[in-house]
Amino acid sequence: MDTLIDLGGGFASALEPVSLAFALLGVLLGTVVGVLPGIGPISAIAILIPVSFGMEPVHGLILLCGIYYGSMYGGSITATLIKTPGEVASAVTAIEGYEMARRGRGKAALATAAIGSFLAGTLAIVGLTFLSPVLVKLANVFGATEYFLLMATALLLASTMSSGSRAKALVSIFIGLAVGLVGLDFQTGLPRQTFGMSLLSDGIDFTIFAMALFAIPEAIRNLALGRGAKDVIQSFGDDTWMTKQDWQRSAMPWARGSVLGFIIGILPGVGPSLASFMSYIMEKRISKRKSEFGKGAIEGVAGPEAANNAGVGGAMIPLFSLGIPGSATTALLLFVFTMYGLQPGPLIFRDESGLIWTIIASMYIGNVALIILNLPLVGVFVKLLKMPKEILFSSILVLVVIGAYAIEFSLFGLMMLGIFGVIGYLMEKGGIPLAPSILALVLVPLLEDNFRRMLQISGGSFMPLLTRPVSLSIILLMVAGIIAPIIFRWWVRRRQLLADVSVG
Amino acid sequence: MKTMSPALKGDVITGSAVTVVGLVYYIATFWIQETKNIVTPRTFPAIVGVALILLGVFIVVQAVYRGKKAAEVGPGDGDTASASVDGDGATASASVSSGVVLDAPEDPPSKKVVLQFALFFVYLALLIPVGFLLSTAAFLMTMTSIYARDRWIRNLIFSVLFAVIIYVAFVYGLAVYLPVGILG
Repeated sequence: MDTLIDLGGGFASALEPVSLAFALLGVLLGTVVGVLPGIGPISAIAILIPVSFGMEPVHGLILLCGIYYGSMYGGSITATLIKTPGEVASAVTAIEGYEMARRGRGKAALATAAIGSFLAGTLAIVGLTFLSPVLVKLANVFGATEYFLLMATALLLASTMSSGSRAKALVSIFIGLAVGLVGLDFQTGLPRQTFGMSLLSDGIDFTIFAMALFAIPEAIRNLALGRGAKDVIQSFGDDTWMTKQDWQRSAMPWARGSVLGFIIGILPGVGPSLASFMSYIMEKRISKRKSEFGKGAIEGVAGPEAANNAGVGGAMIPLFSLGIPGSATTALLLFVFTMYGLQPGPLIFRDESGLIWTIIASMYIGNVALIILNLPLVGVFVKLLKMPKEILFSSILVLVVIGAYAIEFSLFGLMMLGIFGVIGYLMEKGGIPLAPSILALVLVPLLEDNFRRMLQISGGSFMPLLTRPVSLSIILLMVAGIIAPIIFRWWVRRRQLLADVSVG
Repeated sequence: MKTMSPALKGDVITGSAVTVVGLVYYIATFWIQETKNIVTPRTFPAIVGVALILLGVFIVVQAVYRGKKAAEVGPGDGDTASASVDGDGATASASVSSGVVLDAPEDPPSKKVVLQFALFFVYLALLIPVGFLLSTAAFLMTMTSIYARDRWIRNLIFSVLFAVIIYVAFVYGLAVYLPVGILG
């Protein structure tokens, strides 16, 4: 009941004209940036963080949450019409959605994505609304040991569940940790890993790192590729939005995708991308129309898109109630909170309860705005796909340069941006995923702080990890979380799904 | 090594680079002052350095081992053998846990990448002394014209307009004061 009162209060302030305007602006801005080929939610938020400098915390956060939602939806437009997913999460949409568009069913693909996203997104926020207060109560018994463990779990899961090589995902995490440790040690004030440069003693700015990694390599790669074969933009057809049969075929995938996405989203360190892949595989497996998959099956769009957006809501739960981000994107949001001097976690629900509930309420509003604005405006967004690449990517380079300048106001900050841009490019070339390093960079101060406190309390012994009941349960869950995917893979391989799902 | 596929060769390079980075990072920890705490300021950086070294070595060993195995199977099968091991390591395409294989993005020629980065660094260096408006317009003009030389009129209009609009928006709209440089 208390929750409903809090939420009501949140709605009261989220519906104020200014807050409402920021929610709408965020969704719109997010969609516009997300539609741009090659730009996914992470890049969109990273590029747009500087815009929120100097705003009221609540407005800045409402804006960025809106951008997150909007860019996810924008990404599915791009995936459907030119088969260029902005990030892994919409990669499966690029398979079925694009095939649907090729068959003149683009409108139906976009509609099922939008409606599924709306339903799943809303359900996930309902989950967030009611689960967060429970988790906050639970978190009151958490000590340094549990926090350390949760963060270590998040990092470990982020490496085991990402695509490609696990060793390389771990490399990415350790690169993030390595960057995060540069600067003055907060406990002793001693300089660390500064290579004698006093400018490095403030550490490496998170936004500069994020912008450098997520905008520069992609921009440079596209500019260097030069004018190649033009992207074929599928028209989204003048066909009706969705037929009765489309609704029938989409309903169950939406429901299954929502549940799956929400559960996966809550897991620390596992973002929505895994949710959309698992949903795709699940839909394909249980479908009676297996032969249609790969040729434009609507289930293959409805399920993953729902899972994707449910995952976003799910990932907000550990972020809000424990202060632990579940993915690179939520890590960016955590950074924005701390930029405003706010620390998500149990305390924020007590000390800043008005703020946090306003943000939660604005997410409901953002989701409604997404569907009201975006289905009718899809024709406008599609025009953005035609933007010449050289103009798009050179503008992005300028925008990140402004962002970096606005943070440091120095040549040093600008050079950091360039250097990490090169590092990001080399990482991508070497097959090292970029996202885990962002998560690690955000978590490293908390990880180290809690690790130190844990050992100080116990006098240097690691036993509390096993003797504290909460900590022991987390360890057991963590072991299960690592073993489960291995069993899942083995089971999938046994069923020889590998062969018939391959599309490449 | 001769029969190694490009992907595996790439892994040897990546792994070696990671090892070198880890080594440099670990050596740098020797300059951190030790304290008497249980977890000293050096503990975490040292763990990170060692972990990077080990991971780098692991990636190299794994690639060499796979290369040998592929060579035994026969030179022609090398690529396919490494690619079907659920993307763990050597594939250029991203295959996610359960076998949805995505097309790998195209790789641009290295020479062009170096050129683009060089131009970007020139822009970064000139931004403050020359000022935002002039350096940005010049940078945009250069980048767009390398890409599409024939459309120089459009490029020029875009470069100037974009620089001016962004300048006005940030300075007057968001109160982010961009460098004025020689125009100031």
